[in-house]
Amino acid sequence: MEGVLWYVFTGTRGGPNRVRIVRTLRERPRNANQLAEDLNLDYKTVRHHLDVLLENNILDCGGDGYGAIYLISDQAGQHWETIEQISEQMG
Amino acid sequence: MAIWIDALRLTIGVNLLLILGLLSVWGQNYLQFRSKHTLGLFVFGLMLFSENLLALYFFLFDPVLHVWFSADMPMIAQRAIMLIRVFETIALVFLTWITWD
Repeated sequence: MEGVLWYVFTGTRGGPNRVRIVRTLRERPRNANQLAEDLNLDYKTVRHHLDVLLENNILDCGGDGYGAIYLISDQAGQHWETIEQISEQMG
Repeated sequence: MAIWIDALRLTIGVNLLLILGLLSVWGQNYLQFRSKHTLGLFVFGLMLFSENLLALYFFLFDPVLHVWFSADMPMIAQRAIMLIRVFETIALVFLTWITWD
């Protein structure tokens, strides 16, 4: 998991925005639309990042379709220290 | 002009472009995260870029080596070098695919 977290967040083009998304979801779970609004990002961009984060088991998803709510997965929760470390360095 | 050498130059050119793309992502991430991981990726990219640049110089511009690679090197050796380069290009295509995301 550690290696995945480092690469997904700091090795890729969309990494910094993924860090922002995960930070925001840690405060409280949200749906894609709320995330796009709160982070001032394009809805499609947010959807793409959410799919990547789901695929890598960093997020879990409750509900279907438009209103689906996203939250930090148990696995990512167990590695929250790493995510915090990555996030701190981003400032 | 040996076709293998031309193909070789082409793969080196493609490698250089792919590595430039990777360096732009990793460089920006390094500036943002300042972590050893991002620095490591960036330096790795820089070294791989230098390797390809040096190879391009040897195959195209170096007054002695350039002639030797084009005219004097046996076909079997040209193919062997070409094969190694192709594997590097395939590796870089996949790395770019997961990084440009």
